[in-house]
Amino acid sequence: MSAITRNGVTIDDTFAEAFGMSALGLIITADTAKWANICATVMTGFGTSVIGAGAECGIDRELSPDETPDGRPGVRVLMFGFSPDALKPQLLNRVGQCVLTSPGSACFNGLDSPTTLPLAAGPRFFGDGWQTAKKLGKQRFWRVPVMDGEFVIEDKCGVTTDAVGGGNLLVLGRDRAGLLEATEAAVAAIAEVRDVITPFPGGIVRSGSKVGSKYKGAIASTNDAFCPTLKGAVKSELDADIIAVLEIVIDGLTSEAVANAMRAGLKSLIEAGAAKGVARVSAGNYGGNLGQHHYHLKDLLP
Amino acid sequence: MSTLSFTLRAAPKHALDLSGLLPSRLAQLSTGDIEKLPLVTGVHAINVGDVFTVSGTPGDALAISADSTLLDYVGAGLDQGTITVEGSVGNHAARGMTGGTLEIRGNAGAYLASTAKGGLVHVKGSAGDFLGGARPGDKFGLLGGTVVVEGNIGERAGERMRRGIVVTRGTFGAAAGSRMVGGTLWTETGFGPRPGPLLRRGTLIAPKVDELLPTFADCGRHDLVILNILSRYVAKTLGPLAPKPLPPMVRKLAGDRATIGKGEILLTA
Repeated sequence: MSAITRNGVTIDDTFAEAFGMSALGLIITADTAKWANICATVMTGFGTSVIGAGAECGIDRELSPDETPDGRPGVRVLMFGFSPDALKPQLLNRVGQCVLTSPGSACFNGLDSPTTLPLAAGPRFFGDGWQTAKKLGKQRFWRVPVMDGEFVIEDKCGVTTDAVGGGNLLVLGRDRAGLLEATEAAVAAIAEVRDVITPFPGGIVRSGSKVGSKYKGAIASTNDAFCPTLKGAVKSELDADIIAVLEIVIDGLTSEAVANAMRAGLKSLIEAGAAKGVARVSAGNYGGNLGQHHYHLKDLLP
Repeated sequence: MSTLSFTLRAAPKHALDLSGLLPSRLAQLSTGDIEKLPLVTGVHAINVGDVFTVSGTPGDALAISADSTLLDYVGAGLDQGTITVEGSVGNHAARGMTGGTLEIRGNAGAYLASTAKGGLVHVKGSAGDFLGGARPGDKFGLLGGTVVVEGNIGERAGERMRRGIVVTRGTFGAAAGSRMVGGTLWTETGFGPRPGPLLRRGTLIAPKVDELLPTFADCGRHDLVILNILSRYVAKTLGPLAPKPLPPMVRKLAGDRATIGKGEILLTA
């Protein structure tokens, strides 16, 4: 494996292996940007990995009043799942429990797509018969009477099956605090890229996994080759001076968006990483046989 | 854009049915064929060539230069393209229209845009009774699309209307939105007496109402998110024809409580 060194950071000659997924986008608005963000944050909460959380969710970006259907501040959230059918119960529960309930909120489709999922199918019945719809052009909006006025929710939302989940960067460091700072900066750079989310806490995973386990019933277990405390005990991927590894996982509406996000993350790590103790950047894969999408780090260098 | 022009030579004595004059139907025909199209059938048959001078090239647009309330069914069944009428027309204009634009630079008669599903109707003058209404035998009146009237509208507009938007700078006559089941009637001036008899669902928007039915209940003043959506939608689709954006607060009157009462009159002033 021939690695490249840029600005004091070694970039492994490897690739991130990602999977085809289904995804939908929603626009959540509220009276203030603060409340649109509260609603979107709660709605995308516990949305880290499809393995245990049902869907991978995150905030794509904030929207100005000009960009939302109702002229109020808003946030675009993305939800990723194995299939449109797998997204349905997640959509119903998250919108029903977190958006309908949030003061002043409204919920609209945030992804133009020929295929759609019912968005208001559950929440509108909260109206107990007092709900009414207004169809304007091709869009139908439901108005559900609630205690602070009306909850407006669009009838359908677009869903795509061309989304990609599992784009990633592994950041290897000599200093734990510096590594976290540098990785946070990379997540912030990725947040500027459209159509992607980093679903883990703050965009960062510390418990990278490998497929399989010695225990029956566990489908994934710790990625021992990247665990610094096992350096001498297992066939390690880590050099002697690496004391911690953090991973950024990226889901995107298109393969191009994921590549753009990885490129932005790499650029940030190369520009500011070495000073913070970032020694290497690598990527996670399963040998190339499991995922349809491969992102080679050397192709994404700035 | 090529335009086919029809100029009325003399005022007609009988009602003419202009539903055959649609850009999509005439696009493939020669002027000779177009002149043979019937406007009245039967013993007193009248063809296009008997009353109109036809000129220009068939294409996406028709221009009708005529001013007679005996011109019925103008733009009826219009699916694409543009029809412009320099003058007034009779009844049933834009009936069953599904797309395109009908511009009437005069007045329109009764039953404008009945059973229309889409497209835009723009009347420079006023419109008659039963605009977007259901004729005997129709299950519903207006089913979609947008109607903009710059003058006043007659009585019982939106009778059995199900969807779509009707906007006027002027007033609606008596009993607008009667038996309406959905859609939006929007006036920048006001409604005549007793709007919304047996209104089931749908929205009537006005700064004032001449006389309210006793079966409408005052629900108070509210700032509704749907008003922003509606204002932005009409601004986007109608451009300069759009009414002024709705104010943040409106007074909601729910009714008609003589039936299911899920409709509303929204008072903007």
